[in-house]
Amino acid sequence: MYLPDGYTTLEKLREAGEYADYDLFFGPNHPGMHGNFGYVLTMIGTEVVRVRPNAGQLHRGFEKAMENKAWAANVSLIPRVCVPDPDPNEVAYCQAVEKLLGCEVPIRGRWMRSITLELSRLGSLYMGMGGLAGALGHYSTMYLMMIERDLILDRFEALTGARVYHIYNVPGGVRNDAPEGWFDSVSRLLDHLEAQMPEYDRLLYENHVVWDRLQGMAPITAEEAMASGVTGPALRATGVKADIRVDAPYAAYPEIQVDIPTSGGGDALARAVQVRLDFAESVRILRRLLARIPDGPVHADLGNLAKLKVPAGDAYSKVESSKGEFGYYVVSDGGEKPYRVSVRGPSLPAGLYLCHKHLPGMKIDDVAAWMASFAICPPDIDR
Amino acid sequence: MTPERFSSQLARFFGDDARFTDKGGAQWELRVPRDRCLPLLSFLRDHSFVHLAFISAVDWPRDQEIELVYHVWSYEHRVHVLVKTRTEREKAWMFTAHRLWGQAQAYEQEIHEMMGVFFLGNPDLSPLFLHNWHDRPPLRKDFDPKAYSLKAYTLAGLGLAPEQKEDGDVPS
Amino acid sequence: MEDAVLFNLRDERQSAWESVLNYFRKRSMWMLYYCTGCGAIELPPSMTSRYDMERFGMGPMATPRQADLLLITGYLSVKTLKRVIRSYEQMQEPKYVVGFGSCPINGGIYWDAYPVINHLELFIPVDMSIAGCMPRPQAVLDAFQKLMDEIQAGKAVGYKRYRKHLDWYKRNQDAVLARTEAVLEPWEDPFSDAALVESLWNDAPAEVKEMREVRHDA
Repeated sequence: MYLPDGYTTLEKLREAGEYADYDLFFGPNHPGMHGNFGYVLTMIGTEVVRVRPNAGQLHRGFEKAMENKAWAANVSLIPRVCVPDPDPNEVAYCQAVEKLLGCEVPIRGRWMRSITLELSRLGSLYMGMGGLAGALGHYSTMYLMMIERDLILDRFEALTGARVYHIYNVPGGVRNDAPEGWFDSVSRLLDHLEAQMPEYDRLLYENHVVWDRLQGMAPITAEEAMASGVTGPALRATGVKADIRVDAPYAAYPEIQVDIPTSGGGDALARAVQVRLDFAESVRILRRLLARIPDGPVHADLGNLAKLKVPAGDAYSKVESSKGEFGYYVVSDGGEKPYRVSVRGPSLPAGLYLCHKHLPGMKIDDVAAWMASFAICPPDIDR
Repeated sequence: MTPERFSSQLARFFGDDARFTDKGGAQWELRVPRDRCLPLLSFLRDHSFVHLAFISAVDWPRDQEIELVYHVWSYEHRVHVLVKTRTEREKAWMFTAHRLWGQAQAYEQEIHEMMGVFFLGNPDLSPLFLHNWHDRPPLRKDFDPKAYSLKAYTLAGLGLAPEQKEDGDVPS
Repeated sequence: MEDAVLFNLRDERQSAWESVLNYFRKRSMWMLYYCTGCGAIELPPSMTSRYDMERFGMGPMATPRQADLLLITGYLSVKTLKRVIRSYEQMQEPKYVVGFGSCPINGGIYWDAYPVINHLELFIPVDMSIAGCMPRPQAVLDAFQKLMDEIQAGKAVGYKRYRKHLDWYKRNQDAVLARTEAVLEPWEDPFSDAALVESLWNDAPAEVKEMREVRHDA
């Protein structure tokens, strides 16, 4: 780039008043933006200088709405907190309620929970990998991955009747048992997904463009990631062996072997690779779950769920979603409705805090890839 | 770390200020007065509780108080600690924790907007989520979302006339 | 000539010229890339190879200035409504609006939520609504087919209505967006008083005071 004599950086030019900065609205209406979210980027040329997150376009008052609905009715509201990965929300909320009730979920119910959680994770990881590919301009990879995700949604439809919002978990277990032949169809699906994976590896992970663009982008160290509240794949990509499925196991995970693959390096490439490792691990976990499905009922008897009363108290429950820690803090005053529910989404630390550290100095082309590498999902920031 | 060992260490530094409860399921609860809350959080962070999951606020109009709950987690001990502190409801305020955890700034900004708690020392408490909001903070218990919605977003509530019947050529 | 075409509102006796225009309009609809809510999650499946929206001549478009179709994919918070109106007004005529899911129709599951509007048609004209939460891709494609029929029949004239009744729409928009007073009861932030904040600092314990300096690198 041409710079006048004596000036080495654009920043110096701006200080001298020779080069004007301007505000660029990256989102909400922008093809590179993942969802309805916005960053107001102050730019010099194509370089970001300052960033102001413009959240709240997806705010719909969840936490207030939950206070006005019965305990079990809230399950219909909750999956909407995170659209690509809805099941962890249901499970986290139901677990918090069960903790207050002191009720045990039957083992088959816990198994069904884990299976749906892992299937939901696979769907969301496809969305994440496809989103990353799309942000880097590889639309065909994204298109192909959407088809695979749709096959997972078909299994969900057979199980729960809904493609996107399953509303499958209820306090005490899951709504219904699996229909005839469902487990076999999931096994066959896994065979298919595994057979397809090498193709996606060639398209995405063995692609020089992807490699060169992501390597060294927005690195974080393990300490920084832990201190700034980053969880999930982004944390494991820094080499920390942390996974709620192992650290505070829930559903069927206490009885199932869960390994924590880590990639290490902490940059965007490591995060992208981590998603792929998580995917492979998730498939392995699903196979282990499907290998020994216990018999029995799928939900505990809690009487009429519409009139469920929960003893006073508070409980926190968290679940490892495909993006990190989803937590529900539930307070009850003993009534038929929650007194207060507050939600911890995995995207806020990166979306509202790390953006101030990473985006300045970045080129505008990389912002979408940065968002995809942290799997920022705006609905759980805004709620 | 066992709960006993932790609570005895805590008692050494905070005396009776921090009240410890074991909630079971690797969750501990600490109740602390407002002035001692930040030192306690700092103590926790230095003792391996490095992960601030989030901050939540609960309105208790019965006690005329607002409760702030800091959720911290130790990767080392695999224990979740809920630090609870209370502030008066009329003029709710708290010290900011963003010097300890950077992302606390965003959580506090959200609580300020949603619950009306002022965070002393927070550099940015500007509204983030709501557009043009003049009412009381929506997560307060005495805010009625249904009445608000009906008054703010329907023609009857806004006091505006419905669309006039058209002159023939416009579909209604 | 142009004016005659534009202002021929829902003319059953379409001129031959207009019916030719409509034929081409319905066969190349570019939809604006704007995910306003959770309904956007069913758009990738509809767009990609399995349901393949492109066989109807539809595709995504990055800028509102070249888009024909605005999808309101789900609930609209007030903050989004402002941006939707902005995008809608930037689009060139003819333009069509499709409300996606139950929320734009009557608020859906968020009918009593404080930041979400209830009836989209008060603010911009809606040409087609798809009920359901979520509408399946089949329903989405069905709606697009119906919209094409409406365009061919000259019935999808929301943009003409918007232009003709701009005052009415603007009045409703301003009532929600340019609000200057509280809806239920006003709220005064007691901490807008700098002296109060300063006095709180003065009474703060010493160990907290040390943390006073605002960190700007955060």
